[in-house]
Amino acid sequence: MNIKTNLSQTQLVGLVLLISLLVFSCLIGWFSPYSIDEQNLAIRLASPDSLHWLGTDNFGRDMMTRLASAILLSFSLSLLCVISSLLLGVSLGVSAAWVGGRFEQSLNIVINILLALPGLVLVLMLVAMAPGSFAVLYLAISLVQWTEYYRVSRAMTRTLINSPELQLSAMMGFGKWYQFKRHIWPTISPSIFTMAAFGGANAILTMASLGFISVGIQPPLAELGLMSVELFPYYIEAPWVLAQPLIVVALVVLGFHLLAGSQRESIN
Amino acid sequence: MWALVKRQCFQLMLVIWGVGTLTFVLMRSLPGDMAYRIAASRYGQDNVDSAAAELVRQELNLDQSVFSSYLSWLTDLLQFNLGNSLVSGLPVIELVQHQLGHSLLLAIFGIMLSALIALPLGVWSAQKGGAVNTALVWLSTATRAMPVFVLGLLLILLFSLRWQLLPVAGFGTWQHLVLPSLTLAISLAAVSNRVVHTSTRQVITSSFYRFSRVKGLNESQTFVRHGIRNIAVPVVAFIGVQLVSVVEGIVMIESLFSWPGIGHGLAHAIFARDIPVIQGCALMMGGLFVLLNGVIDLLCHTIDPRGQQER
Amino acid sequence: MTDVSYDEIAKKKSLIRYSLLAAAIVLCSIFGLWSNQAPQSNLNKSNTLTISGPWEISSLEPSQQGYILTRMQVLETLVNVNSSGELTPGLALNWQVSDDGLSWLFTLRNNVKFHDGTLLNAAAVVASLGHAQQKHGALNKADIAQIDAIGNNQIRITLSQPYISLAALLTNYSTSILAPASYKTDGDIKTLYGTGAYQMASFSPPHKLTVKQFSGYWAQQAKIPYATYLTGHRAESRLLQAKTGDADIVFTLDPAMLSQLTSNQTVKVHSNLIPRTLFLKLNNSHPLLSELRTRQALDLALDRHSIATNVLHAQGSETSQVLPRSFAQWYLSDISTSKLNLVKAQALLSEQGWHKNESGILQRDDQPFSLTLMTYADRPELTVVATAIQAQWAKLGIDLKINVTNSSMIPAGHQDGTLELALIARNFGSIADPFPIISTDFSNGGGDWGTMNWHNAQVDNAINQLAREYEPAKRFTLSQTIAKVIHQQLPVLPITSYTQHTSVNQRVQNFKFDPYERNYFINQMAFK
Repeated sequence: MNIKTNLSQTQLVGLVLLISLLVFSCLIGWFSPYSIDEQNLAIRLASPDSLHWLGTDNFGRDMMTRLASAILLSFSLSLLCVISSLLLGVSLGVSAAWVGGRFEQSLNIVINILLALPGLVLVLMLVAMAPGSFAVLYLAISLVQWTEYYRVSRAMTRTLINSPELQLSAMMGFGKWYQFKRHIWPTISPSIFTMAAFGGANAILTMASLGFISVGIQPPLAELGLMSVELFPYYIEAPWVLAQPLIVVALVVLGFHLLAGSQRESIN
Repeated sequence: MWALVKRQCFQLMLVIWGVGTLTFVLMRSLPGDMAYRIAASRYGQDNVDSAAAELVRQELNLDQSVFSSYLSWLTDLLQFNLGNSLVSGLPVIELVQHQLGHSLLLAIFGIMLSALIALPLGVWSAQKGGAVNTALVWLSTATRAMPVFVLGLLLILLFSLRWQLLPVAGFGTWQHLVLPSLTLAISLAAVSNRVVHTSTRQVITSSFYRFSRVKGLNESQTFVRHGIRNIAVPVVAFIGVQLVSVVEGIVMIESLFSWPGIGHGLAHAIFARDIPVIQGCALMMGGLFVLLNGVIDLLCHTIDPRGQQER
Repeated sequence: MTDVSYDEIAKKKSLIRYSLLAAAIVLCSIFGLWSNQAPQSNLNKSNTLTISGPWEISSLEPSQQGYILTRMQVLETLVNVNSSGELTPGLALNWQVSDDGLSWLFTLRNNVKFHDGTLLNAAAVVASLGHAQQKHGALNKADIAQIDAIGNNQIRITLSQPYISLAALLTNYSTSILAPASYKTDGDIKTLYGTGAYQMASFSPPHKLTVKQFSGYWAQQAKIPYATYLTGHRAESRLLQAKTGDADIVFTLDPAMLSQLTSNQTVKVHSNLIPRTLFLKLNNSHPLLSELRTRQALDLALDRHSIATNVLHAQGSETSQVLPRSFAQWYLSDISTSKLNLVKAQALLSEQGWHKNESGILQRDDQPFSLTLMTYADRPELTVVATAIQAQWAKLGIDLKINVTNSSMIPAGHQDGTLELALIARNFGSIADPFPIISTDFSNGGGDWGTMNWHNAQVDNAINQLAREYEPAKRFTLSQTIAKVIHQQLPVLPITSYTQHTSVNQRVQNFKFDPYERNYFINQMAFK
């Protein structure tokens, strides 16, 4: 497997940041004496002390444990979101450009219709179909994001189709999968990965906006976006508690952006 | 020229039909009894019960088969009748006009403000480079990572509480518009200033730009003559994409500032399974999407008639 | 060798001009659209009272969100109720009931004008009540055979079966009296003409309602010319509106943020008990909940005091009785709220064969003690209390899942039997007398927002007797019996009584809170 080792310094910083957040989360998850739903209403909204290193939330639950669990959950679910939208978008985009003709035209019309449908409607309706399932929520978000991958991969594949190297490979008898692996994928992967990095960060922020309209709340799960919504009323009483999930989200977004690299910031 | 317009019109109609049908199909596949949900939105949680649901079911003829209700919706649509809300009985067109109009107002002002913020910042950071650019990158990322409601809260605390300049929430006067559009503008500008930066850098480091300096034009003349139009194309395309997605993405801002926008209205309509409202909103927004795309394409073509590399 | 033709340039310039013009037209039309919706320009801070609340008003139909219309004093009812729970004259001066309980005679007030200038008379009342019967509302709880106009100022309601609380039903907003000209032929509302101190000025559904004073009001004239009701979705922004003075009166403040207002000089916070109870609705035929001992164990595992003090910030509001203290007839004064007793709860459960497995969940014969609690998001405190209950019962070993959904799913779940547990906030004051609610929801098998699959002969008998009993002492005994049985048998688990927090700006004088939430008494208020 070819692992690209030409990450720039900023990209490396981003990767390190993300990995250290994951490591923090795993360590706390193993060693913490508290669970994420253990309440102690007498010590609610406590500031950091020796018992609770990051303080407690409005139910008296340990913030550090909840943050660790939230990081893991948010990471895994945004990864799910990104992988599903990537697979769908890239496969459809490449096949549309390759096959061309009627298939591409009809797919374009379908895409236009899907794009015209307000994303909020789609997400809320999918959530209503399977209430209470977090994974479905993230899959719904990925259904809104996949069209970008489609557009970019289709545009790039279209120019590649007519390139001499691809035509040569085809003439030499190599199959479609080989052509994809050797020619198309290396060209589109930088842009795709950039979009994936931004998409992962956006997924977490979208969860927060959905939580704001009371969708996706499932106590006592800890999720970064939902935690910032639940702790929002305490912005004066206990601002350090609200700040914690916000800072973690900022670090995650920063990590993803640094990982995405500085050249392609224009692609959102 | 006319062929283009005809094609756009055809596409518009196709998209509207497609969006409407898709919404219809999705709504029908939702589980749960619609009558109960509509009754809950009509009578409030204190008053909703099985008797109310039964009344709603009979009144609205909800036992109608899928095919016949689709057909009746389609015939209504062809007569430009979007129907009445199942919850309030008021015409959908009034509701959509009120809410979509407010959302569009907020979106347009937000985008204009964000352009006012992002353009100078992006150009400045591209021209100066170095420390200014790095500072701006960090600031942009920090702003972008904040959920929009936190940003909105900070602005409220500053402008309404501390300085008592603007109202906290509501609608009706221009003062009510300032804070929500400022919140939207800042969160959009955090992204678009980087686009402007990239585009400007590309133009400034290009050979034709250097040549213009070589042949004798000074900095500002070069920028005005050769810089602006070349910078504009990707920026306008990007802002166009932002505008399209922002109309329904501003749910948080609408909720926080009690702004009567379509995002919040749509969410409530989906919770209440108010099918005519959802379909009406989706249709209008779909049509708006196609129109906006057309306008953006026209603008891009005007700025750079050489044609896009994208399509 | 390129030849630039000036025609090309001219064409391009005209294209640009036209598109700019088109864009300008679009912008202007949007502005026009928006300014069309701008409210009266003669409203300003000095002549308008601004009220903020979490409820939306989607239509002017009184049977739907009519409570906002009565609160804003646009509509009025035949009968009123004062803060002690006594029925007082409204648009009806007095009422009598015949000996057989089937015929009620109401005498109407004289010289009451509707907002369109017409006089209130028996024909208008009969028409209005007739429309109310066609729609969903309180009047359908009684078996009404006929409503007649007797003369010009009396109406007679004839029942098929005696219903002792008929007068109380007429305090509900769904029975408010509208002018005949308000209705379209199909019964929908054309223009709202009521009898209240204020009349409709503008309506922007679902967020804003503006009313202006009605100079022909039959009682105390309003002093403040205009009043606006504005929906505020987020509790945080409503609180900020209270702080900055944007809203003069803010109802339903979030108790979590009250501390921000205590030191504020410009607002005063009123905290009043209202007849709304937070309780757990149980499916009494569910295999895990059918045993009384199990329900007792669940009851003893609830730390009500902690929930009331730390979660709802309303110390002392915890309760073990479904009906609030203000309903003295139904309130058992000699019992105290049950306290947390985990040891006893665990003993009660292990008696029945429940023992904790390795993951800490109670198990009996390979069946874990797993339940799903349903609640709704419209009231944010419900989700918070549900989370607290989840953690409290987890200590007992109960695996509780929480499902936050639409409020209508609770009656739906009751009807199809799939409901296991629900956390609800029931308003027992929506009709002045709780008897209608108790008879439909807590007896004869229960109802959508009351007990579920619970049959108790004692309660059913008492309710049937109560429907025809007029003697106060006997009524008291019967009501107390019903309350006692519900308290002992635990078909529902009450948790706390509600306290409503309202912030009032210092410039508002004579603010009065109605515990039945029927009236904001705006006509009594004045600006300093």
